[in-house]
This record gives sequence, C-alpha cells and structure tokens, in this order.
Amino acid sequence: MGRFIARRLVQAIPTLFGIMLITFALTRLSPSDPVQLMVAGNFDITAEDKAVLRHNLGLDDPIPVQFGRWLVQAAKGDLGNSFYYHRPVTQLIWERIPNTMQYTIPSLILAVVIGAPLGFVAARLRGRLPDHAIRVLSVVLHSLPEFFVALLVVLILAVQLRILPIGSMNTVGISCALCGDRFWHLIGPVLVSALSGIAFYPRLMRTEVLEILGQDYVRTARSKGLREKVVLAVHVLRNALIPVVTIFGGLLAIVLSSSLVIEQVFNWPGLGRLLFEGALNKDYPLVQAVTIIGGVLLLVSYILRDITYAWVDPRIKVR
Amino acid sequence: MAQRVLTIDRRALDAASARRSTAGFWSDALWRVRHDPTTMVALALFFTMVVLAVGADALSDNFFHWSFAKQDLLNTYARPTLDDPAMWLGGDHIGRSQVVRLLYGARVSLFIGVFGMIVTLTVGLMIGISAGYFRGWLDDFVVWLVSTLNSIPRLYLLLIVGLLFKLDPLSLAVFLGLLGWTGICNLARGQTFALRERDFVVAARTIGATPLRIMFRHIFPNVLPLMIVLAAIDVAGIILAESAISYIGFGIQPPVPSWGNMLNNASTFLYKGPHLIYGPGIAIALTVLCLYLIGDGLRDALDPRLRGSVGGGRR
Repeated sequence: MGRFIARRLVQAIPTLFGIMLITFALTRLSPSDPVQLMVAGNFDITAEDKAVLRHNLGLDDPIPVQFGRWLVQAAKGDLGNSFYYHRPVTQLIWERIPNTMQYTIPSLILAVVIGAPLGFVAARLRGRLPDHAIRVLSVVLHSLPEFFVALLVVLILAVQLRILPIGSMNTVGISCALCGDRFWHLIGPVLVSALSGIAFYPRLMRTEVLEILGQDYVRTARSKGLREKVVLAVHVLRNALIPVVTIFGGLLAIVLSSSLVIEQVFNWPGLGRLLFEGALNKDYPLVQAVTIIGGVLLLVSYILRDITYAWVDPRIKVR
Repeated sequence: MAQRVLTIDRRALDAASARRSTAGFWSDALWRVRHDPTTMVALALFFTMVVLAVGADALSDNFFHWSFAKQDLLNTYARPTLDDPAMWLGGDHIGRSQVVRLLYGARVSLFIGVFGMIVTLTVGLMIGISAGYFRGWLDDFVVWLVSTLNSIPRLYLLLIVGLLFKLDPLSLAVFLGLLGWTGICNLARGQTFALRERDFVVAARTIGATPLRIMFRHIFPNVLPLMIVLAAIDVAGIILAESAISYIGFGIQPPVPSWGNMLNNASTFLYKGPHLIYGPGIAIALTVLCLYLIGDGLRDALDPRLRGSVGGGRR
C-alpha cells in the first residue's frame, strides 16, 4: 500500500508540471502588457520607469527563463502579487477556499444521500414505474444548466416567494459562520451545486447494483439461504458503494467548474467569484493562481480517489 | 470504467437476432433507431430546432417582422402576449423581441455545439488512435497531456481563453473543441489498444500495410460506432459549456445573441422582466435533453451490449 501511494504521488509530479505549463503559456499569450496593466491610471510614468519596472519584474528575460523562475517561486509558495489588490495571491485564495468548501462539501454529501438510494431503488424495481421515473428525473436534471436552475431558485424562491435570501453569505449587519442566518443563505448554493451529483448518482448506482446482482457470489449467498435483506445489505450494497465513493474526485471537478457560475448567481465570495473578479480586473497573476489551485485541488482529489480505490479493492494495486 | 463487462439486455438481443439475420450493421442500427419512439421524438425536436435556427432570417423577415437587433422603447419588458408574434415571449430591457433573439441564439449555440464536436472528434480520434497504435513515448506523452487537461477545471481554462481573446462563435467553438477532446481520446485509445492485437490488424500488417493505412482503414471504422454515440453527447456538453461561459460574460459578446448571454442579460433584470429567463434557459435544457436522448438511443441501436454504460459524461 505504501509503495502504491508513493508511486501515485510520483506520477502526479509531471501532471502538476503540466498544469503550471499550460496556465503559464496561456496567460503569456495575452496580448496586453502586464507593465501597462500595473501602471494603468498613473499618468506621470515615463518610458524609462516602465523599462525599469519591466527589468525588475524580469519581464525582459527569455520566456523559458521566466517560466523557470516562476516555477521556483511557486515551489516556495509564492504565486506572485495581485495587480489589483496588491497583495500576495495565495493569501487571497486562502481566504476564499473555506467559503467555497462551505457549500461544496454539504452539496457532495447531499448528492450521495439523495442520489445513491434512488439508484438502488431503481435497480431493485428494474423496468417498473419507479425505475422509469428515476431515469427520467436523472436525465432531465442532467440537462438543466446549473446557472439556469440557480437563477430559477433566486427568481422564484427569493425574489417572488421571499423564502430564501437573494444572495451573499450573510444578511447585511450579521456576520457569523455557524448560525441560522448562514444556513439560510447556504440552502440555495448547496441545492444547485448538488444537482449534477443527484442527476449522476442514480445512473451509476443502478448499473452497479444490477451488475452485482448478476454476480456468482450473490447467487451463492442466496442459495445458502441468507435472507434477502442480508444479501442486499452485506453483499450488494457494500460492493455497489465502491464507485460511489471513488467518483467523488470526478464530481469535485464538476462542482469546482460550476462554482464559477453558481457563486456568480448567488453572489457568494468563494474561489469562483475570486476568479471571476480577477478576470474582470484583468488581474493575470490572480487568474493564473486560482486556476493552478483549482488544478491542484483536483489533482489531490484524483490521488485520494485512487488511494481509496486501492484501499477498498485490493485487486487494483496489481495494475 | 467504460471497458467494464456489462449486463446484456436479453430482450434486446433476442429481438435483434429474431428480426433480420441478414441485415447489415448500419441498416440494422437504423431499424432500431426508427423503432425507438423516445429517440425519434428527440430527433424530431432537435431537427425542428435546427430548421428554425437555419431559417431564422426568413422567419424574422416574413413572420415576426422584427429583426434581432430592432429596439422598441414601447416594448421594454413587455410581458409575453399572443397578439404580436414578435412578443410571444415578451420584450427585453430595450424592447427587442425575445423570440427572434432566441432563434438567432439557437443559431449560435447549435453552430458552436456542432462545430466544436467536429473539432473534439477530429483531434480526439487522431491523437487517441495514434497513441493507442504506436504506444511508447507518444502514448506516454498523450497520457500526460490528457491527465493534465483533465486536472484543470474546464470552465477556468475557458475563462482565461475568454479573457485573452475576443471570441466570436467560430473561435469559441475551436477553443471548446481544443479543450474538450480528452474523453474521446481516452476511449479511442482504449479501443485501439484492443483492436491492434486483433487478427485482421495483424494480417494487414503482415501483408505490408502502412501504419497510416491500418489506422484509417482497419481501426477507424471499428472505433466509429462508439464515437457517433459520443458525438451527440459531446454536442450537448459543448452547448452547456458555451452557455456557461457566455453567461458569465466571457464568451459570445452582445449584441450577438447567444442563449448564455441572453440569460446573463435576463439575470440583471430579475425584478423588471422575470419572464426573460425562461426562454433561453428552457431552450438550453431542451436542446441538451434531446441530444442526451439521441445519444442514448444511438448507443442502444449501435451496440445493445453497451446499454447503460456510456454517456452522462458532463463537461
């Protein structure tokens, strides 16, 4: 197991390098000049001042040298300063990550709690009405774009019915992290963010349970006289839950991506909103850093997924 | 995941073998699609949307009498009404016809979806098949590239692209394609791994066929059925991504209407024009739903053994 984890970690290094390379290359394609962006608004700056600034920033070095220097700095945990906030971008990101986690983690849990039982029921009642209903529900939920659902939640539940708040994390004047007010504000983002999972889990669980029901060991369990409940709970459910756990990584990718639009609709000051604001302000270091951190979060979740996979299913290790 | 052994749907197989044992692969698949009501309805709906989108000019001139850019202050935030065809879905904040803009938006969204799919399919197939066929360092490189691209949240990358370039529908479609080929590549690569060891490929190699010929004439046709299924689902994914990026304002820019930027516009006027969000939102959802159903139907038609396995890959 230790060797497996070590190998998986080593495999992550080239991917991490790739994430850095793509992000760096993309932001360097930018037609606008970073120096120009930094001094925007200061009219008494001369051409010499700009040249000095450019030299101090190392922007007159060859691109590979710049990339190398940037990598070394990043390894030390320094991803540069924000053009707009004039603070280290890592600081800004650390402030926002908890906010994003606050609704993504409950939404992932909610997705499993709702989605997985639906899939189990669908498989048990295969071909009957509940199965079809769940299938239709899953396909329809799957086709709804998150931002549209989020807008519907805001329009119907907040603007028209006034059940939920319109957005942001707290009511004006109240500032707390663990109180009724925060929970009230969390409902919208959690629901919408759970949507893709709720659409996805029934399908996964249904195929999985059906496949396991056809396995020899299930027949054996039944033929030795085990009660159906025990067969289902011990032999079927436990095995069917493996992919449910391991798919978490992939789901996080979707949730992170959609945080960009969900936080926009709910005015939620998280990672996605930080990225959006950075993009509006043409704050390249910030955009770069959020993208990298998003990539690292995904990479970590993929690694954790592979490790849990190998842990619950020892056959995996031999590949 | 996709290579998993799957439960075979007995009834489907029996029905297939009992029907016409002499039918060829493609005509058999066509028969199946034509006898699948859900898929036919989805196809009909999708086809209608394509026709409406293509005929947007003619419709707006001759039926709605309202061009997509025409403003009318008397119709700002007009509620949906049946009196004037152009106001069927109401008017937006500067009194433009929501219906007509929806039609032009369909044009943009469908074009991006289909063109982006062509790009993903071309890139994904070329890279996937050659990586699976040649293996070695090329394969290692491709695996690295794919895992890297998969590790960056796709919408974040798109945002950077939208930030750097002024995107028109064509360039956005190309970018969406260039960022979205990894899933197709993985499947094509996996299939090629299996196919290259098969007798017919070995036979082709022994009579001196070049790798290029083997990949085109022997491997590609065998990968194609699965790819057709994925193509439908891919179009849906690209339409979703396009609308998301246009929704946050970094995709298709106004005044060109796209479903995404129409929703963005509507979200600014939730109080004054709440009816504006339904049109584009439902249009996106309906298109994507049709495409998923078509994908499902095609999968069942092309390979009954794959029931319930492929598909559902979002973004």
